[in-house]
Amino acid sequence: MSQSLRPYLTAVRYSLEAALTLTNFPSQEVERHNRPEIEVPNTSAELLLQPMHIARSETEQVLIEPSVNSVRVSLMVKQADEIEQILVHKFTMFLEQRAEAFYILRRVPVKGYSISFLITNKHTESMKTAKLVDFIIEFMEEVDKEISEMKLFLNARARFVANEYLGEFVY
Amino acid sequence: MTDWRRIDIDAFDPESGRLTAADIAPPYATQVSLAELQPRIAQLRTLASSGDMQAAVALATSDPPYSADAQAKAAYFQAVLETLTQVRQADIAGVVKALQPAQQDVLVKYLYKGMSVPEGQKQGGILLAWFERLTQAAGVRPVTHYINDRNTV
Repeated sequence: MSQSLRPYLTAVRYSLEAALTLTNFPSQEVERHNRPEIEVPNTSAELLLQPMHIARSETEQVLIEPSVNSVRVSLMVKQADEIEQILVHKFTMFLEQRAEAFYILRRVPVKGYSISFLITNKHTESMKTAKLVDFIIEFMEEVDKEISEMKLFLNARARFVANEYLGEFVY
Repeated sequence: MTDWRRIDIDAFDPESGRLTAADIAPPYATQVSLAELQPRIAQLRTLASSGDMQAAVALATSDPPYSADAQAKAAYFQAVLETLTQVRQADIAGVVKALQPAQQDVLVKYLYKGMSVPEGQKQGGILLAWFERLTQAAGVRPVTHYINDRNTV
């Protein structure tokens, strides 16, 4: 792991550990409803806690929004150029379309971010909290690697195709 | 009258027990103005430029202007950010260890605040280095306090 990535991931890990103390909390407004308080338009301000921004640079950030029974984690994946923007968009779309297989994945990212997770008390009750944190950390590590790898492949392929195609015109 | 079923009648009940963001903001006896903060900001700059980082960070993180308005908070925050970025990487661990637990709680507020604004995000690496040293010294405690504290910097 690179030297500058480690503090970033440590910060996310500690912030998540602190935020993932969720409890079952029925809605105060709608009877017999139990909804993630961070997601609903909320008229009870006491249910939302202080949001946490963690930024490595302007293009690489995490936003953690805790509430009494749910935490929303939004990642901004580093996108240095237009190719990376397209790759990140395709990659996150691919995952989001299969969101129900990922349990904690949110179908639509929060505005301004690449991908969002929504962890509710149901998840922390049925899964190990430490493993959930590990998963998000690992995802953050992997997604960067994946994107840069895809970019390399894409460039190599484009070069090969261009060679083959333009080779036709060399006499 | 259209859509009367959607009218939120509880909102009109003064005893509904609903709380808005203004209701849960901690009550402050006095409000600190920008003019009152200026001497502190100046003192902070003097300490930082004289190289006494330990004292500068201790001053920055003790008794922060919770009751000030957004503009004064921003001015104070700017001075704190400058101080934090001036500390050498190798000294951070020592400075953090010497802070009182309450001061560490305030420090983490400034770190999160710094990472939420563009001028702090440019210094993201430095703020994250502070964060790492802080968690090494105090663990998850300052973060937990930050989440639940309604006093914002």
